[in-house]
Amino acid sequence: MSTIIDRPRYLCSLGGAISTLSALPGVISIIHAAAGCGSNLANAHNGAAGYAGSGYCSGLALPSTNVYENEIIFGGEERLKEQIEKTLEVVEGELYFVLTGCMVEMIGDDVRSVASHFKTRGDPVYAINTGGFKGNSFRGYDLVLQALFRDYVEKHGEKDEKLVNLWGVVPVQDVFWKGNLKVLKGLVSKLGYRVNTFFGEGETLSDLKDSSRAVLNIVVSDTFGIEAAKVFEEVHNVPYINVPFPIGDYGTGFFMNEVGRALGIDEAFTDIVIKAEKKRYYGYIERLADIYSDIDLQRYAVVVGDSNYAQALSRYLSDDIGWLPELVIITDDNLSAADRTLILTRFENYASGIKPKVIFNTHTSGVLKEVNYHCTPGNGERYYNSFSPAFILGSSFERDAADRISAGHLSVTYPVCNRVVLDRAYAGYDGALRLTEDIFGVLVASR
Amino acid sequence: MNYIKEKTPPVREDRLKACNAFGGSCCELSRTGKKGCLNKTKRTFAQTQGCQLNLSMSILNTIRDSVVIIHGPIGCGGAGLSFGALTTQYHKLRDSNAKGYIWINTNLDEGDVINGGEQKLKEAIIFADNEFRPSSIIIVNSCVPALIGDDIDGVVAGLQQQTAAKLVPVHCEGFKTKIMASAYDSAYHGILRNLLDKPEENGYLNGYLIEDELEVLKEKYRRSRNVNVLNVSSMSRADELELERLLKALELNVRFLPCFAHPDDFEPATEAALNISICATHDDYFVKHLKEKYNIPYILHTIPIGIRNTGKWLLDIAEFFGETDRAKGLIEAETKALNKALEPFRNQLKGKRVLLSGGEIRILTTAELFQDIGFEVLGVRGYHYDEFADPLIDGLPGKENILFNVATGQPFEQANLLEELKPDLYVGHAGINGWAAKQGIPVFPIFVQSLNYMGYSGMYELTKRVTKVLKNTQFSKNLKNNIKLPYKAEWYGKNPFSYIDSSLAL
Repeated sequence: MSTIIDRPRYLCSLGGAISTLSALPGVISIIHAAAGCGSNLANAHNGAAGYAGSGYCSGLALPSTNVYENEIIFGGEERLKEQIEKTLEVVEGELYFVLTGCMVEMIGDDVRSVASHFKTRGDPVYAINTGGFKGNSFRGYDLVLQALFRDYVEKHGEKDEKLVNLWGVVPVQDVFWKGNLKVLKGLVSKLGYRVNTFFGEGETLSDLKDSSRAVLNIVVSDTFGIEAAKVFEEVHNVPYINVPFPIGDYGTGFFMNEVGRALGIDEAFTDIVIKAEKKRYYGYIERLADIYSDIDLQRYAVVVGDSNYAQALSRYLSDDIGWLPELVIITDDNLSAADRTLILTRFENYASGIKPKVIFNTHTSGVLKEVNYHCTPGNGERYYNSFSPAFILGSSFERDAADRISAGHLSVTYPVCNRVVLDRAYAGYDGALRLTEDIFGVLVASR
Repeated sequence: MNYIKEKTPPVREDRLKACNAFGGSCCELSRTGKKGCLNKTKRTFAQTQGCQLNLSMSILNTIRDSVVIIHGPIGCGGAGLSFGALTTQYHKLRDSNAKGYIWINTNLDEGDVINGGEQKLKEAIIFADNEFRPSSIIIVNSCVPALIGDDIDGVVAGLQQQTAAKLVPVHCEGFKTKIMASAYDSAYHGILRNLLDKPEENGYLNGYLIEDELEVLKEKYRRSRNVNVLNVSSMSRADELELERLLKALELNVRFLPCFAHPDDFEPATEAALNISICATHDDYFVKHLKEKYNIPYILHTIPIGIRNTGKWLLDIAEFFGETDRAKGLIEAETKALNKALEPFRNQLKGKRVLLSGGEIRILTTAELFQDIGFEVLGVRGYHYDEFADPLIDGLPGKENILFNVATGQPFEQANLLEELKPDLYVGHAGINGWAAKQGIPVFPIFVQSLNYMGYSGMYELTKRVTKVLKNTQFSKNLKNNIKLPYKAEWYGKNPFSYIDSSLAL
């Protein structure tokens, strides 16, 4: 059962679905919902995700039935039919997806049968039940993937031995999704495979349609997109693995080895690839040796974010740049006990020997509280061991907490309002270089 | 007007016969609209728009020292993710210790839809009261609990004795109205019912013990010069300072309400001599109730944007206080200085063509400002239309040739219009501006919460910035040359108002 949340860091399943579909090329969402749903969600989509913008046909351009009292009383299917008909007239798209809001779910509109009326006619119209009360953005992402895999991806008997699919990086909720997918695709390509990421640069709908030819689905998450992977396996008989989202040397090395193993790649070959990447990576990291050592740029750190980012950031801080990520707050809602156990294992066996304290707390006010529990303030003694110098890697929300403990701060996890994000990536080796630039950039900003 | 005894206010379709779908000339709109004929027009193709809940937040999230509880599924109120930090900064402009905008979502799920969400609401209220110790807790009701029949007022009544904060329920379910501006009535309704109960007259005056008759007279005089200026969240602190400067010149004491006010500011506001609205769309419900309940007169005619409307606004106020001559002197001096400063800009801007889009009061007055600095106004797009637009349309020079499109957003209609009109400048509301930029039209926003638009200084600032915007239009040009809007080519050949269905209009 869900609980009340102080400043939640995600939207509803409808919001997640809109964001996810807006990241697919040529796809038009038609929302069958009350008037405010689309506009409200568009605000969060744009302003809280590094200014992701309105996209091709989202933001205020999002086609919407804008149902009112009349439809709630008498049913909204007729209005939906009209809206689909007219959307096909006005809006240029390759695929049209009807997404539902809470109200039409509650009155029981049968959107699938409305959509199939158009599909039978030859129009590419699909429907997904995404009513907001079904869950949060991550659930919306999963529901969209499930629908795509079940209804859109074609069945192929023959496999392409050099093709894999990769997902688990949630568009918009991961503000750096597009850059991250590019990096991850690049990494797996180096192992000799072609990779569909569906939402990344240069991906096409026909690649998605034929994605069932893949030999493996790689879900780069312990929690997001897992149900969809099960659907893919059930419908198209493609197995999946889930690997934690990687940032930096240690995380990415683990990722490459896991993927290599699942694909049956010779370990020696994977090692060669990893070695080359590391050589390049440390070639840059080396530059920091001077300033890091000259002015002591090691920091205590607090990490705040979803389960994908929290473990990746913490591992990078601890094992790549030698920081002290003592406190990690995971903000996901509604995690199962099994999920929590799995997530916690990702914080084990750090090369540094650091054992971060990992806490699940969804309330934004909870972050400062946890920080306060963790670092006991001085008690009037002349000397006390404060949690300083410190740095918070989290969302824009954490700027306030960082100010209060005089810590440095960088917004990395959703919401990100104080940065503009285009194709920047934090995943992999390349992404870790960007992250290193950004973190240490904060530390030298006043010089 | 008196709806205060009701739990919820009427929606504007009913109260003001407002409409949100029309395309034609200003004159035609006034002619048909005045009879309330357009009330039932609708669109057969529609794009998303704001709802009451979204817009009511524009007032509610500004109330300082408060927590907003959004009673609904997790996405409702999500827009706060994008503007929460900014709103907090604006709180701090009024009180550097302000905690800023804090909201809680009750996260209703499938189980709650079946079993009801009252328990979660109770939990949220108690959490908010304990955790943040705010002066008020504003409970915003969304579509889902409205449909399942959660008794918000019952929960509030049951908990008010247990909480230190004043509880303010606001009923603003999105599906109840297509006129987004009904939100203002919902927000004010909650404030009127819960933050404005005037204390009993008990020999105390404004909290001070009356000591002698002279003190009483002094206090009465002071009060006779107190005015409430009803601000809007789309104005800036700089706008407030400019309006305050002008009203101080008439020796008036200004209190700004409701935006960025503290919950405790509302009660003393009932002692003001006059309520001054700057936007009828925003305030008519509030000022009419304050008149009815506390007998406070009000001014509701126009917004102080541009020379003529700023002057008119000032004269209306001055007339009430018998200060017309003083105001005329002020206006003359201000206008003279401003006109001199505007001269070089007017020469540069002469003959440029503009389309404006936003709230009805704001677009019509801003249109007049643009005419004044040399622009030809091709058309205006209003979020909705109601009777408050009529006097502004009547006073707009060249109204016969100015197009009026009533649309809450609907960028597809705008795209069609822009393709045909190709103005030199587009002036629009946040959220839709980017679409004009992608069509290659330079854009200036019709409001920015950190810029000065109002009064004399605002007109100068706006003119200066618009001139700046037109100095280099490469950004929008590049967008146009490299980005395609989502509409089919045929759409641009059609009448821009093809999807407005007037068959139900009276």
